[in-house]
Amino acid sequence: MAVTLTINGEQRLADVEDDVPLLWVLRDVLGMTGTKFGCGIAQCGACTVHVDGEAVRSCVLPVGSVVGSSITTIEGVGATPAGASVQRAWLDLEVVQCGYCQSGQIMSAAALLASTPDPDDSDIDAAMAGNICRCGTYVRIRAAIKQAAAGKQP
Amino acid sequence: MSIRSIVLGVIAVGAVGVAACAWYLRGPGPTDFAAGQKVPLAEYGSTDPTGVPASLAQASLIERGKYLAHAADCMVCHTAAGGAPYAGGLGFKLPFGTLYSTNITPDRDTGIGAYSDQDFLDAVQRGKRPDGSRLYPAMPYPSYSYMTDADALAIKAYLFSLEPVRSASLGNTLSFPFNQRWGMTFWSALFNADKRFEPNADQSPQWNRGAYLAEALAHCGDCHTERNLGFALNNRKKFGGAVTAGWRAYNISSDESSGLGDWTADEIATYLSTGHAAGRGTASGPMGEAVDHSFSKLESEDITSLVSYLQTVPAIRSADLPVQLAPVAPTSHKQGGGATDQIGKRVFEGACVSCHGWTGKSTVSAYATLTGARSVNDPSAINVAQIVVSGTERHIPEGVLSMPAFGKSLSNEEVAAVANYVTARFGSEGSTIRAADVAALREQTAD
Repeated sequence: MAVTLTINGEQRLADVEDDVPLLWVLRDVLGMTGTKFGCGIAQCGACTVHVDGEAVRSCVLPVGSVVGSSITTIEGVGATPAGASVQRAWLDLEVVQCGYCQSGQIMSAAALLASTPDPDDSDIDAAMAGNICRCGTYVRIRAAIKQAAAGKQP
Repeated sequence: MSIRSIVLGVIAVGAVGVAACAWYLRGPGPTDFAAGQKVPLAEYGSTDPTGVPASLAQASLIERGKYLAHAADCMVCHTAAGGAPYAGGLGFKLPFGTLYSTNITPDRDTGIGAYSDQDFLDAVQRGKRPDGSRLYPAMPYPSYSYMTDADALAIKAYLFSLEPVRSASLGNTLSFPFNQRWGMTFWSALFNADKRFEPNADQSPQWNRGAYLAEALAHCGDCHTERNLGFALNNRKKFGGAVTAGWRAYNISSDESSGLGDWTADEIATYLSTGHAAGRGTASGPMGEAVDHSFSKLESEDITSLVSYLQTVPAIRSADLPVQLAPVAPTSHKQGGGATDQIGKRVFEGACVSCHGWTGKSTVSAYATLTGARSVNDPSAINVAQIVVSGTERHIPEGVLSMPAFGKSLSNEEVAAVANYVTARFGSEGSTIRAADVAALREQTAD
């Protein structure tokens, strides 16, 4: 069956069953490979996307449940104010090492800043603890989130 | 008074005492709570409450047996994790050792392939093997004894239609005196009425069908009714809840606050057939298996009958369960939750929040919503800790839904801390369990 999704502001059509995880639709059907597959059980955060502004793990999210929602992926997050400032800070501080987890890290960080413009350490822990980085870039991630938050303030 | 008459007197008093204890321990039967006159099935004038639903009336014996085997949920206990269905090997961990389920595929040497019809009835209704040895009541034969011969033999026909699997039973590790099977002869005499189901002429046909399904087939009480000193079901507290195999089977009596009294018939029916009802949580552990392998395969008219029967079971209050369920938790991680132990929150934000959310309303699946679930509104936190350790896998119409088992990655301290955090955040009364409680739960889980 066909589902219509709103991804990064565009309507996309995919011929898939309702129970297929959104991540598979993004990567395998729509060719949007910026979102990564990590663990497949919502334990690593690599597959994070936004559904109506909230950070969600797309590897366990049945595509049928997001029809009618606004989906944002790493390919489109730069168009949002929080996403743009996060990406800028990420480049400034050279956060990325191998990069595999970074799409998810950026999506989680952007969702955090959109809802909490001036996060403290505990807010960062609460939003980012589920995004795992094997290279251990956590220190730079925390610094970049703080820089992005500061940069957004007038 | 002669010595002889004193001795006789003591014996008489002793005999009366033993009889009184036996009478007390035996207690009421499973349907004795209902008003009205019980009649033998043959004399019951209305629709036959036994057998299969009307849609299967013309089906083959094997097809009917398959439906009844699902309704009796034989497979779940008679299948080891990852093993062949019905080939046995699931271990039940009891305080006095481990008991393994047996192979009930039609293999002649290791299964039940050599059983005659009478052998099968003796096992299912009387807990007796062809060689005369006794079954332990982990096999719920005191419940199955309410099954009609025709229904039990239909199940046999279905089991005999399966591929025989050669799989020798594992040896039980029960300690003395529980390893003495002959002792079960006395247990049976006392606790197994060995009487087929008798409908209640003053209750509706639907109620009687529900009673037959619940008592003779689904054997709800074997998990949901606590046991007495003799390890038999204590029907004075019928469906008041109990802990079985390391999971808490909650109160399903009609109590308003701790049972199903404030559930609508629709909610109970939806929960039974899908393992989830909006705002009521999700079945996991043994109940998840019962839904996946049994209730979800029943015709909707049978589910309706079960519900109408369940709703008449007298209220038993579970005193330790809070009267009010907690509302949705705050959006901010800074509010809510027991903050005394930072380990619980740390585990939750790393491993749990991505599916369950800070509010308890899952963004991933309604099945993962914690708000309103009994398990999080239970200060014993048994099921919260157990699901963290064991995880869950549910087969729902939309596909397979699972929560990972964290038992190997989290220590007992961490499991206890996250259970305490979860019950404080999403329930109305936080738990205070400790690492030793988690260790004890791990010991009880069947595997």
